[in-house]
Amino acid sequence: MADPMHQFEVQKIVDLPDFSIPGVGVIDMAFTNSTLAMTLAAGAIVAFMAVSTAKVSVVPGRLQAMGEGAFSYIDNLTTSIIGHEGRKFFPFIFTLFLFILAMNILGLFLVFTATSQLAVTATLAIMTILLVLIVGFARNGASMYKLFVPAGVPWYMLLLVTPIEFISFLLRPATLALRLFGNMLGGHVALKVFAGFIISLGGLAAGGGLGLLGIPGAAVSLGGVVALTALEFLVAFLQAFVFAVLTCVYLNDVVNLGHHH
Amino acid sequence: MAAQTTHNAGDAHDGNPVAEAAEAVHGHEVPAGTTEVAAHGGEGGGLPQFRMEYWGGQIIWLLIIFAVLYALLAKVFVPRLRKIQDTRAQTIAEAVEQARTVQAEADAQAKAAQAELEDARAQARRLAADAKAKAQAEMAASQAAEDQRLNAELEQAEARIRGLRDQAMSNVRGIAADTAEAMVAKLTGQAPSRADIDAALAGRTTEGAA
Repeated sequence: MADPMHQFEVQKIVDLPDFSIPGVGVIDMAFTNSTLAMTLAAGAIVAFMAVSTAKVSVVPGRLQAMGEGAFSYIDNLTTSIIGHEGRKFFPFIFTLFLFILAMNILGLFLVFTATSQLAVTATLAIMTILLVLIVGFARNGASMYKLFVPAGVPWYMLLLVTPIEFISFLLRPATLALRLFGNMLGGHVALKVFAGFIISLGGLAAGGGLGLLGIPGAAVSLGGVVALTALEFLVAFLQAFVFAVLTCVYLNDVVNLGHHH
Repeated sequence: MAAQTTHNAGDAHDGNPVAEAAEAVHGHEVPAGTTEVAAHGGEGGGLPQFRMEYWGGQIIWLLIIFAVLYALLAKVFVPRLRKIQDTRAQTIAEAVEQARTVQAEADAQAKAAQAELEDARAQARRLAADAKAKAQAEMAASQAAEDQRLNAELEQAEARIRGLRDQAMSNVRGIAADTAEAMVAKLTGQAPSRADIDAALAGRTTEGAA
């Protein structure tokens, strides 16, 4: 059976010159299959947006309706979670959502899923948390501590609540990164394993004799792959959505710190 | 990079069956310091995602691609979509406003028409009532005239009847007088005086009348 982890190998396509960042080290800037997947995802988004908004009209065509649908979907999400100030963060959340969605979905069609690389999901998560921190400190300054001290909680409860809030805040980037990474990794491994069963059971059946029993097994595996593929499309959307929702929630925490809207 | 690879090669035998199986297949150790991609297959142990030598490149590329994508979306596509949505919202609002105006106008017109209809109806009712009253008055007048005419005719007829009766009565008196005279003459042989007969008739008549 093919190694189910092989699909996650990063492979160089074009070797570009390294460059070194002082204090960090040498960065291998080779154009890899991971880079290619990200580029294709971004390219697909730009192409889709360019085509769907090429001839905008008040009564939308099919493509424009799709583009506007995605737009309104995330727009409503940000506005409903963050409030009227959500519009400022909308381009970031929209980019995040579309980019993750495109990488997830392209991973189901191509051989490489960029979002199954922890390096990618961790970068996206850290980017998000950095934005939350920058926005939080820029807006609230020193009163950022209120994030860990919920209003209206008695002091003896704060002894318990504050550490919990602080730890959960620290874990946010990790959970953001690992949720997306784990979902994509698990889904693609399961797909590959089931697909591998089809081949190996089919090979068994080709031997004849008792090996013919492998045919129903291969059929079940095939059914499993089809069902898993459908599930993976759902997961692909859901994880992009969850990432966007959590980004909104974390931004809301610092944008509307200390007052409920 | 070299340090990382060395580290990865160092813990190749960490008990991960996948990695070891993969290594068994490939059957070679990676020399420290290499960045050769062809030497893939689990020399880092565990998931390929944890081979740190590709993290830097992926992160930098991701940041570049994300930045470009963000710039394009934020500067070109989001404003475009925002604009069309705002335009649509405005168009709809205008259309609704216009529809509301037209509706109000239609309502006013309907109200006016209703009032007009009420007026016309009232007028018609009044006209009908007038006509009815006039017809009734005319009918009453003509009936009265007719009654009067009939009464006059009736009176006239009664008068004539009375005259005829009186005349008949006086004829009867004459006939009675003649008859009485003839009967008396026949019975007595001598003709009674007219005065006697008259007196006798008058007494009878008075008696008969009484």
